[in-house]
This record gives sequence, C-alpha cells and structure tokens, in this order.
Amino acid sequence: MDCFITIDLGTGAVKVSAFNPHGKMLHAMKGSYPTFHTRPDWSEQDPEQIFITMLYVLKNFLNEKIHPKKYKVVSICFSAAMHSVMTTDRNGVPLGNAIVWSDNRAKQESQELRNTEFGNMLYNATGTPIHPMSPLSKITWIKNHDPERFRQAQKFLSIKTYIIQQLTGEYIIDHSLASATGLLNIHSLKWEEEALRFAGITPQQLPALVPVFYSTAKLRREYQSSLNLPAGVQIIAGSSDGCLATLGGGIRGEGKATITIEDSGAVRVMGKKVLKDDKQRFFNYLLTEDSYVSGGPTNNGGAVFEWYAKQFGVFKRAFDLDDSMETLMSDAAKVPAGSGGLIFLPYLQGERAPIWNADAKGVYFGLNIQHEQPHFARATIEGILYAVYSIGKTLEEHRVIESLCVNGRFASLPFWTQLIADIFNKPVSTKIDADSVAVGAFLLSAINTGIYKNLDEAAQTVQLPDTYKPKKSQHQIYKKHYAIFERLSYKLFDEFKAISALQQKKG
Amino acid sequence: MNAVVLKKGCPELLGFPHIVEFASKKNSTIQFNSFKPAAAESLRLYYILEGKFEWFIEKQHYILYPGDLAIVLPGQLQGGEKGFLDIGALAWLHVRLEQLEGSGKMVPGSWSSLTEKESKAIGKILVLNTIPVLSKFKEAGVLFQHLYHELLNQEIGYSTRVNHLIDELLILVARQLTRQNSSRRDFPQTFMKLEQTLRENLGHQWTLEEMAAMVGLGTTAFSEKVKSFTGFSPLNYLINIRISEAIRLLKRPDVNVTDIALDTGFYSSQHFATTFKKLTGYTPSEFRKKNLPNK
Repeated sequence: MDCFITIDLGTGAVKVSAFNPHGKMLHAMKGSYPTFHTRPDWSEQDPEQIFITMLYVLKNFLNEKIHPKKYKVVSICFSAAMHSVMTTDRNGVPLGNAIVWSDNRAKQESQELRNTEFGNMLYNATGTPIHPMSPLSKITWIKNHDPERFRQAQKFLSIKTYIIQQLTGEYIIDHSLASATGLLNIHSLKWEEEALRFAGITPQQLPALVPVFYSTAKLRREYQSSLNLPAGVQIIAGSSDGCLATLGGGIRGEGKATITIEDSGAVRVMGKKVLKDDKQRFFNYLLTEDSYVSGGPTNNGGAVFEWYAKQFGVFKRAFDLDDSMETLMSDAAKVPAGSGGLIFLPYLQGERAPIWNADAKGVYFGLNIQHEQPHFARATIEGILYAVYSIGKTLEEHRVIESLCVNGRFASLPFWTQLIADIFNKPVSTKIDADSVAVGAFLLSAINTGIYKNLDEAAQTVQLPDTYKPKKSQHQIYKKHYAIFERLSYKLFDEFKAISALQQKKG
Repeated sequence: MNAVVLKKGCPELLGFPHIVEFASKKNSTIQFNSFKPAAAESLRLYYILEGKFEWFIEKQHYILYPGDLAIVLPGQLQGGEKGFLDIGALAWLHVRLEQLEGSGKMVPGSWSSLTEKESKAIGKILVLNTIPVLSKFKEAGVLFQHLYHELLNQEIGYSTRVNHLIDELLILVARQLTRQNSSRRDFPQTFMKLEQTLRENLGHQWTLEEMAAMVGLGTTAFSEKVKSFTGFSPLNYLINIRISEAIRLLKRPDVNVTDIALDTGFYSSQHFATTFKKLTGYTPSEFRKKNLPNK
C-alpha cells in the first residue's frame, strides 16, 4: 500500500509520522534535541544535531514500521516551527547555532521598530507582528551585535531550509513558513525589499521562495540508499506547524476557530482575507495563495501549568510530572468555577497577543484567608485559559466565531476542554487524533498527489466527533472574573515594567 | 561518640590497611596553624557534629554546620580558612583508594565489595561533582556512628562490617550528590544538565549505569524516562550527540578523522566509519569531501 510520511521539525523534537491514503495515521516516532540557553534571553539549537536526529528517527521509523510492511513511500512532507534563523558560510557550513522561535535577544531591535510608521508599513506588508521572535528582528540583531558573523554569513536560512538542503541540495523555503519571517510580502509573494534593506541583506542571501506543494527537489542518492527509499520519492516543501495545525484541525470555513495549547498556545482562524488590525495584535500567515491563517499567540500555555506542578505538586515518584499534574487537576475539579475569587495572570514569560508586553509577569490576585492549595491549582488553569480567551475575544472584533476546535497536549485534556467551552460560551470539538500538525501535513501531501482536489475538500475530511457544550451558569461566573482579569492585564503596565527592570538588574 | 583518633598503625586499624585515619574529635581550643590547607593521597570525608567550621576546599570557601558532610578527593587542598580548626565537634574518615583517576575510573581495593561497574559509576560522580559539601546529611552521621562502634568494640564480624560501612558510605554519598544536583521534579532540566556533562566528556566511554547514576535513577527507570522524553534509548541518544559533534568537526579541515573518532567517543576510526555510514550513507571522508571547499 502507498504511504505518506510527514516530518515535523518542532520546537524541541522531530516527529515522523506515516499515513495511509485514507488519512489514517499508521505510526509515529519522535526524537528530541536540546535547546541551549547560554544567556538569559537566548534560545538556540544545533542544526547538525537536528539533522542527525531527524535522519536517525526517520531511518529507525522506516526500518521498523514501514519497510517490513512493504509500504511504498510516495512522499515526505515537511513542517517546522516558525521564526528560526541560522547562518551559513560560503561553503554552506553553519556559522554558530540556529536562533529558535522563543529567542528574545532582539528585544531592542523590535521595540524601536514596533510603533513607528515604518514598522506599521512592514506589518501590513508582511503580516508578521514586529516582535523579537521575528527573523526580521533577529537578523537585524546579528547585524548590530555580531558583525563578524553577519559579514561571513553567505546565507540566512530557516532550520527547515537547512534540513531540506542537506537532504536534496536545494535551498528553498515555502511561502507559508516564509510568511512568518517578517521578510515576505504576503500580497505579492516576493521578499519585501524594505524589510530586507532594514535587516541589511539581499534576496540572494535568502533561500528560493516556493509554493507549499513544491516537490521537485530530489533526495540525494546516498540517502536514497541509506534510507532505502525509491529515487522518485517526492520531498514536499510543506508549511509551518502553526498553519498545518490549523488545517489539520479541520476548521477551514466560516465561523470556526482553533485553539492550540502545547507549552505555548494560539487561537487561529482561516480565511481568504487578511485581518487588518491597527494595533498589530494578530499575525496573518499564508497557507496557500488564497488562504490566510490569522490569529494571536500566547507565550504562557501548558508550560505555566507545568511550572506550577513542578513547584507545588506532589511527586510520589521521581520526575513523574504527569502524575503530579493529574492530581492537581483532580484537586482543581473540586473547587467551584472562579476559584473562590482567586484570579491568576499567567504572564510568567511575558506575553504576546493581545497585550504584547514582554515585561508582563505572573500575578495571583484576590487572595483571602479561605484559599487553599486546590484554589491555586484551579486559578492557575483558569488564568491560562483567560489569556487564551483574551485572544479569542479580540479576534471576534474581526470575525464571527461560532464554534471552536481544540488541539495540542493541554487543550485536549477533558478538564481543560470543558473549561474552554464554559469560558468562551461556545461548543468545542476535539479530534480523536491530537496531532493536527501531522494531519495537516498529510492533507497537503494528499492534495499534492490528487487524492483531494483542494484545501476545502481536504479539510472537510477531518472528523471532529467529541463536542463539549458550554454551561451557561459557569460562563456567567467566568465572565465576571474575566472582566477583572482583563483590567489587571492592562492596569499593571507600569508595575510590570518596574519589576521587570528590578529583576533584570538582579539577574 | 567519644573523642578518639585512630591512625595508621593503631591496633584498631591493623586489619584495615586502607583506613588511613578515623577520628571523632571535640575541639575546644584554637591552635594556630594547626589546620592549614593541604592535600592528601586519601579520600577524606568529614562529618560535622557541633559548631561551625570555615574551610577552604580546593580554594573555595565553605561554611559547614552540624549534619554537613565534606568530601575531599585525593589531591585536593583542604584546611581551615584561617589556618586552624574551629571550635566544635566532628568526625572524619580518611580512606586510601587503590585508584581514582581524573577520568573517574575508581578501584577502591580488594576490601570493597562494590562491583567494578558500580565503582566506576561512583568514581565518575565523585570526579564530576563540583560542590564538595552535602548539607543536612544525617544518614552519613549514622554511618559514622556505626563505624565508631564497630572499630572500638570489635564484636564478631566487625572487620566485614567496617568494610561494608565504608562501601555504604560511598554509595550514599554518590546517591546524595546526584539528588542534590536535581530537584527530582523537572526531568527536562535534569536531562539537560546530564546532556551538558555528556557533551563536555564525549570521549569518555559512558555506560548506562554511569548515566543513570548521574541523575540519581535506577537504570530501568532512567532508560524509560529518557526514551519517553527523547524518543531514544540513552545509548542511542549518546550516539546521536557523538555523530552531531563529529559532523561539526568534519566540516573543519584542520582535524583528522581518527582524532575526530576518538574525541567523539568511538572506539576506533573503523567503529566511527561504520556507525557514520550506517546513519548518513556517507563514510566520514566522503562526507568531508562533499562539505569542504574545492581547493
């Protein structure tokens, strides 16, 4: 039987999956790579290690799961985390590590640009909010702070570009991933000259722009033989994890939004037009020429609940974080909605949408002498979801959202899904198969070989069986607490700034 | 424990040539220059019973309180910060190991019943440890008590028991060192620390036991955790780091392939070439040719 392989170069691990032509996931396998934090705001990964890890997992996967069953591999479709930047020298050898999405070193570069007329022009042209995560800011940082690397850099690449180049020899980037760089004009699908000029680079230093379906790059002969793959196997450029999670979430069409909560989170809608927002609160990424994925990201998803569990949870066995989190959730379930008036602002890692405040911090507000540990556990989860709701609410200023679909490790926990339904006051569906990124990459592959005609037809095949209905009475309670949450998020602006300055001095 | 100082040559230590000194001491007066920083050939363990001691261990300043255990490796400098022994009470044991190399290879001697593998792992932990003081370590105090009674009372079976107690002390120290270095809550963070240690000592022939001991887990639990976190078995993860580092070195023209093989922890250049080719489809030299500028 034919099979389709997807490779997701995620934020901390590569995941290889295989699907049959009907979209059923056959197997999946992952391999992780480390993120180095050599300085407080820095997050880097080693491109060679990512490549080797990918190759290692792919090889084991093929040898253990695919070849023994005599599957015929039709294509390999890539997806990747957004916003990474790496540099290579004139021999194509990496200069230093890759700077990954969560890296905040370019704070100053982006702050200086964000509220200027020129910054607004770039946002409208590129769809990417001006932020330290954007490759535009990161490359500008290299130019300003590491002139030697900047001078030696023959090319500026995304990690995915490097991985595909190692496999095929071609330097390419798909329009979709490129639309998250802050360097691509999402209307003309060309590199935005003004952005490139600001960053100090030329189009020749960037990979070639290709559609997400681009599949003419050939797998090098050595890898054909070491992986035991046919010469004709198609290497599909693919897209970004964010866009594919949205496609794989099955929400193409009016009135729907997806909520993804992994370590971080996002609320996204898909449509044929970009969202225009004067306050630059949303991203507009491109999936294909006539479809945009728009929405807002939060820094503080499941990672914040994990932080809480690590500090305050009970560990019956060493390192059993899952067990500790489960206990906390069952504690939290016993506390009524609203956590007895305890409100948590989850901005432990600053915040992006909708408040876009890198100085924001975590706050427990409204403590009284009756509050016990379970109130904290519940307030922590409610606070994370209020922040997600605040993104959804601002999106509703532009789009009608009638129902939601959740994916990701945390959003698909039943306790969380029900809370989302109640806080948003909207029905929420979950997918059987939580890995929407892989499903999205499969759908692209299936369109590529003609199994589906187009994105609409492909997205319709995603089944969303479980629906959580909102409880009105609960929603009324959350609504009142959320109003205070929202006011606090903005009101504490000066105090966030002051405490941030103090903390930085100490560090 | 009453005050006692047993040194090599004492009748109590005749059956224990490896014990250089065992003492329990109450220090009630200060004698200048009585405790200047000095090195010794033996492994020295000090358990604080009363008072407050200010010491230098390898030029670093430490303050020790009751319940703390100080571990001084052979060759390390140790002594009172002001050159004398502070007022207080403490117990110590100086034991000569047959071998403790900088690489971590440890052979305690024929008196010990530690297995070869476990001795190696404990040695590695001792050598890689950077904090020589274990605080609030009452269990060590209990072992010192037992040692004291066994050595002085010499009841039937004592010589076996004394050696077992020293083994137990080494095991306990190793376990406590690995626990002190991690919260036992945050596996990703603990694993990152281990990963960094592996990278910094890539040429070492790491065993599963050593790696597990570094994070304070049994080998089964360790393998399970690593597999679910990284997707790889611990040894495969290690190969992964080795090949990644090798690739980086292969792209630099100034290092030869045999050196790369050994620096990254392969047994030989043949072992390196086979592993490399299996994974990448290229031999190391083919890979290098492909990636270096044409001259």
